[in-house]
Amino acid sequence: MRLQSKLTLFSAISKIVVVLLLIAILPPLIHRVAILNTDKRLNEKKDNVLEIISEQGIENFIAEGDEGAYGSYNLLKEEFISMEQIAEPVAIDTVENSLRKVDEEIVEYRVLSLTFEVDGKYYLLEIGRSIDTILESIDTMQKYALYFLAAVILLTVFIDLAFSKILLQPLLVIVKRLKRIGHPSTFTPKTINTTTSDFLYLNNAINDMMGQIQDAFLKEKEFIGNVSHELLTPISILQTRTENLLTDPEVPEHLLVKLVDNQKTLHRLKSIIQALLLISRIENEQYLKNEEVSLTILANEVAEEIADRAEVKDIKLNVKLEDDWTLPQANYSLLFTMLFNVVSNAIKYNKPNGSITISGAPKGKGYELCVTDTGVGIAEEHIPNIFNRFKRLHGPDNESHGLGLPIVQTVARFHNIKLTVNSTVDVGTTFCFKFSKS
Amino acid sequence: MHVLVVEDEAGLAAELVHFLKQEHYKCDWACNGEDASERIAVNRYDFILLDLGLPDYDGLDLLQEARETDYEPAVIILTARGELEDRVKGLGLGADDYLPKPFSLLELKARMQAVSRRKFNVKSSVHEFHGFELDSTARTVSYNGQNISLTKKEFDLLHYMLLHKNRILTRLQLTEHIWGNILEDDYDSNYIDVHIKNLRKKLSAHAPTDWIETVRGVGYRLTL
Repeated sequence: MRLQSKLTLFSAISKIVVVLLLIAILPPLIHRVAILNTDKRLNEKKDNVLEIISEQGIENFIAEGDEGAYGSYNLLKEEFISMEQIAEPVAIDTVENSLRKVDEEIVEYRVLSLTFEVDGKYYLLEIGRSIDTILESIDTMQKYALYFLAAVILLTVFIDLAFSKILLQPLLVIVKRLKRIGHPSTFTPKTINTTTSDFLYLNNAINDMMGQIQDAFLKEKEFIGNVSHELLTPISILQTRTENLLTDPEVPEHLLVKLVDNQKTLHRLKSIIQALLLISRIENEQYLKNEEVSLTILANEVAEEIADRAEVKDIKLNVKLEDDWTLPQANYSLLFTMLFNVVSNAIKYNKPNGSITISGAPKGKGYELCVTDTGVGIAEEHIPNIFNRFKRLHGPDNESHGLGLPIVQTVARFHNIKLTVNSTVDVGTTFCFKFSKS
Repeated sequence: MHVLVVEDEAGLAAELVHFLKQEHYKCDWACNGEDASERIAVNRYDFILLDLGLPDYDGLDLLQEARETDYEPAVIILTARGELEDRVKGLGLGADDYLPKPFSLLELKARMQAVSRRKFNVKSSVHEFHGFELDSTARTVSYNGQNISLTKKEFDLLHYMLLHKNRILTRLQLTEHIWGNILEDDYDSNYIDVHIKNLRKKLSAHAPTDWIETVRGVGYRLTL
């Protein structure tokens, strides 16, 4: 997931958590605030009543000779005020919820009760406010609080999204540039337009690192070029000299055989250097992958090229490829060398009247090409070393330079092909190339 | 044919010149770019064998100079720097062929002949020998007008031996020619013996093939 999406998601989730918390806390909180407000209002009313009584006397409420009670409800029974004379001097000053029966209807009120004394008589004052009214206002408050919160969240999420987009723009530019690098040599260092010091640092670090990689690649390329020149030129001289000597009529026959031996040794030296240079050049990305390669064509052409060798050793060579698979960007001659080397080994290490099968079939989301032989097999402890160019395993002929399989592996890596080997001694070996959808 | 060898390695140049003279080419040697540039300007060469890695000159510049002459010499680039760009650039600038070092002199001769046929429009591509006829353009071999079916490798082998007739060819040289640049772990000379055996069998069905000589421990020779 992209950083920007993660940041936005995080900010949205954190806000939702805060809202849920608020939703959980808000009702009791608002309830408490509403009750406190009601109590405050009841107390203010009490003060008003007491003020009126002190100014105008209690007679305004309770007339002389009356039963000693006063009661007033407003029209919708939302509030009431009552005052009655009590016999005992009990001290009460409370605010609490209580149920009252009004016109055959039970209504719950928040009631302030107060006892006081006027002219030696004791009175109980009660001021009440309907709980329903209070709850109604609580609901309204909650509703508006939630609307407000939702609006705030939406607004802040959009602001976060826009801000993080602007803020992370340089990072996106850096990522895009990195994605475009197919090979270090194609990288050109660029400055980045931002005031965020972290991004400037990141960009500079990438520029520096790519510069160093480019230098290393260039030096390696130069080295390969120099090695080529310095080693292959003297070999060229020796080779041409040997060839000229071979045609010299004055060279006696027994020396000709020695010259042929020299030529063979020279050929081995040449092959080793060329194999090592090939591996280095592939690793140095000096080969292009700009061809469309059909595996069916490749397998058939390798089989055709090598068929006579199989025939000489009475080995049956089968090619069985299900469906065709085309590599969109590949290097045909390298893939040819890769498959040729594996099939050539399969011939070399096969048994008389043995067989080799080049089979291919779609597997999973990719394609698997396998070369199976009925040969001598490879001992299990040797399998991990067969691709190691520095660990030479002697074949039955003792002539090979042991770089055929490292070349196979290098070409496979260059094309992102997964290579596996299964072998049983005296039964045979299977090399599989797994091509995945690029 | 007049050939200019542009090569700074005296040892290699000496072998090249020796070989070409043996093959009846008229041969000059330039050991550096300046010398080569002068010679190209003064003489008319049919072939320039150009080493790209010269101490004083970029070989590709010499190629450009050769291209700008009013006669158009055939240019074969010889280089130990087998980099892809060099090759592409060389062929792009109009080189006729490209031979990476180390190369076989016989391979060089084969390439020079192929270039001559293409470039100098050599019409005759038919070789006659002991009653057999080999057409290198049509890639056919016949005896008294009767076609002999050869595999691709048998044909290549016969053609190559014919090209280097009367010369001992080692199994290695023959192997290198028919399997080209395929980089292998090793080579097995038995394969050549089998091809020669098959070739003899197919040809001797028409006429004796004692002109394909086996040189014990060395290789084969086609005597004409």
